[in-house]
Amino acid sequence: MAYFDNIKPKKGNIHIVKDRCKGCGFCVEYCPNNVLELSEEFNIKGYHPPYIKHEEDCIYCQLCETICPEFSIYVTLKEEEEEIEKSKS
Amino acid sequence: MKKRIGYFICHCGINIAGTVDVKRVSEDLASYPGIIHSEDYVYMCSDPGQSRMIEAIKEKKLDKVVIACCSPTLHETTFRNAARTAGINSFQCEIANVREQCSWVHKDKVKATEKAIKISKSVIERARFNESLEPISIPVTRRALVIGGGISGIQSALDLANSGYEVVLVERSPSIGGHMIQLSETFPTLDCSQCIMTPKMVEVSKHPKIKLLTYSEVQDISGYVGNFKVKILKKPTFVDPDKCTLCDECTTVCPVAVPNEFDLGLTRRRAIYIPFPQAIPATYTLDINHCPGLVPIACGKCADVCEPKAIDYDMKPEILEEEVGSIIVSTGFDLYGKDEMAEYGYGTYEDVLDGLQFERLCSASGPTMGKILRPSDHKEPKEVVFIQCVGSRDPEQHCAYCSKICCMYTAKHAMLYKHHVHDGQAYVFYIDIRSGGKGYEEFVQRAVEEDGVVYLRGKVSKIFEENGKIRVWGVDTLSGKDIEIKADMVVLAMAIRPSKGADELAKKLKIAMDKDGFLSEAHPKLRPVESVTSGMFLAGAAQAPKDIPEAVAQASGAAVKAVNILSQEKLYHAPTVAAVNSTLCTGCGMCVDVCPYEAVSLAEGKANVNEVLCEGCGTCMATCLRAAASVKNVTPQQVHNMIIASLEG
Ligand SMILES: Cc1cc2nc3c(=O)[nH]c(=O)nc-3n(C[C@H](O)[C@H](O)[C@H](O)COP(=O)(O)OP(=O)(O)OC[C@H]3O[C@@H](n4cnc5c(N)ncnc54)[C@H](O)[C@@H]3O)c2cc1C
Ligand code: SF4
Ligand code: SF4
Ligand code: SF4
Ligand code: SF4
Repeated sequence: MAYFDNIKPKKGNIHIVKDRCKGCGFCVEYCPNNVLELSEEFNIKGYHPPYIKHEEDCIYCQLCETICPEFSIYVTLKEEEEEIEKSKS
Repeated sequence: MKKRIGYFICHCGINIAGTVDVKRVSEDLASYPGIIHSEDYVYMCSDPGQSRMIEAIKEKKLDKVVIACCSPTLHETTFRNAARTAGINSFQCEIANVREQCSWVHKDKVKATEKAIKISKSVIERARFNESLEPISIPVTRRALVIGGGISGIQSALDLANSGYEVVLVERSPSIGGHMIQLSETFPTLDCSQCIMTPKMVEVSKHPKIKLLTYSEVQDISGYVGNFKVKILKKPTFVDPDKCTLCDECTTVCPVAVPNEFDLGLTRRRAIYIPFPQAIPATYTLDINHCPGLVPIACGKCADVCEPKAIDYDMKPEILEEEVGSIIVSTGFDLYGKDEMAEYGYGTYEDVLDGLQFERLCSASGPTMGKILRPSDHKEPKEVVFIQCVGSRDPEQHCAYCSKICCMYTAKHAMLYKHHVHDGQAYVFYIDIRSGGKGYEEFVQRAVEEDGVVYLRGKVSKIFEENGKIRVWGVDTLSGKDIEIKADMVVLAMAIRPSKGADELAKKLKIAMDKDGFLSEAHPKLRPVESVTSGMFLAGAAQAPKDIPEAVAQASGAAVKAVNILSQEKLYHAPTVAAVNSTLCTGCGMCVDVCPYEAVSLAEGKANVNEVLCEGCGTCMATCLRAAASVKNVTPQQVHNMIIASLEG
């Protein structure tokens, strides 16, 4: 039985498919927790894809995933991934 | 027609006659113009005193009387009723105050007697031009508003509803219950708080006469006793209570976790949540301040899993308008927080708790399922220090008053701790023990004798953390020794404060607050449940720190006071109100600006007085340059004559 903080904030695992990105910056602009920022690096198309600046702040709201016009960013739930990892080992 | 005036001066034992030569006054006044009858009597307010007045009116066909006695706030009604019994209009009876304004404040009998004569003559001059008036009758809206749904508000609402009146109960949080629903067991009987509270909450929710508005706040109020108009803001919960099946699916997917107010931050809750399982109304609330946004493309997980489609991100705030005849304010209290009291490490050290947090630890439905464990390492504390009067009785730094309930709940806490942790030791630092109340002293004795709680008389000077222990330094003033306890947990009995926002609400309702921000009663002894504004009553900890029995008693008292108004067919208002002579009025509007009761308005270029709102204060009359505004029975002519009479004597 977990006492006290039995409810934990959920965390997102952010995946960026850099080469699909067209650098529009929507995800950076609309992320409610300012997790993302555009990087200096160039992708294959010559755009600046985002990078994860504050990973801990991501609450898995998936707004970035919904808003991205290029399907180049998506988020999975950390706990689940941890569990999958665990079940593999 | 010639005026036939009677004059009576009361001795009031020696209260008046001791300083004023009442015989001389009555003889002197006998020859004053218009006086047909003049006499003095030992107690005018007594039955024989009133009978003398009534007989004189009848025998000598008096059409006006002036009684020189105590303040009109005391016996004006007595003598006006007697005048009516004798067959004259009650507004033909006036009081000359020769006690509070003369005999009580002077020593020199000769001068006091002269002053009593002047006061009397001046009032006779007023009475001479008094009109006969009838009270203004006003209709009554036979419903009540109760603000605050703690035990006090719940009790008042149930008493009113069970007396047959409709009640609107407004509570600002998502559920009713207040602080009592957070408590574990209650002194002095140690019965389970939720067990005795939830039946009342359920009764409220099922009562056909009670309209419950939770997550709502009073925004604006207008009107007057018997006829208030209230605007209530109902905040959106984004969950339709009629559709929500309490399946709890939404909380399993909501990614947000924030401190849970119900457990005072000892646990967390989701952005969509039910405050506690027995919440009334039984439904979930989406907390807009923590949900990432009502743009459903952000998250929206809860709505996806909500099978009955109860979640509606488009729900809007609503403004409801209610009409009521009387209002009960029961907004309760808050505890001192870490902003006010950081001295004892509250908010810094995890194992320094306040009283309500300790209640949650003891509660079977609390964060530890009723086990007493430290928040820091989830271990059972073996030594616990309880400190009383934290922020109370400290006029220099904090609150000057005694928070009243802390002695008792600290004894309860120490006892409950011992009942949970048999091999533990509880210490209580106190200034004095105040255990006045039925069964209260015996309760504290039980803590000492049966549960071995160690009471140390003295203040704590310092608290700091070292090697996983909380070191408490203090003195025991009875033995004169310095004390150091290496405690596992410290519980602070924080000062009781008026609930946040009570000041803004008081301003909206135009009810007074005392110097500490609690709502003021109209009279500390004789009118303890009435506010100074007529038609508004007070219940519970909003008025002063109180325990449950006192809060419930006051709540029932307030309900009866409200029934006093609601049960009337009509209410009556003093007819000594302002009137505007429209021939003289130029419509300058100065009276509109100065009236403190917002009773004057302009209509078609002329000032117009709402007689029900007017309190007859005379501000408009003093302001009006054209002498168009005048208060009945205190007209400019009457005031002029009164001044002349008191100057010429
Ligand atoms: C640690 C602790 C232990 C206690 N133990 C005991 C005990 O064992 N026995 C005992 O007899 N007493 C005990 N008490 C005292 C008891 O809690 C109070 O007597 C009781 O809660 C007072 O009830 P109330 O309705 O006046 O106020 P509250 O319980 O404070 O309720 C006020 C309600 O009004 C609402 N509200 C506030 N402002 C507004 C507004 N502007 N608009 C709408 N709603 C508003 C609040 O949300 C709340 O629901 C204890 C108190 C504490 C702090
Ligand atoms: S899931 Fe939400 S919080 Fe996380 S990066 Fe995307 S928009 Fe930001
Ligand atoms: S929204 Fe998509 S395309 Fe636009 S910057 Fe972010 S990842 Fe790139
Ligand atoms: S929309 Fe808001 S309340 Fe619903 S699951 Fe997401 S964060 Fe929680
Ligand atoms: S998922 Fe819907 S029905 Fe279930 S508890 Fe949440 S709001 Fe209520």
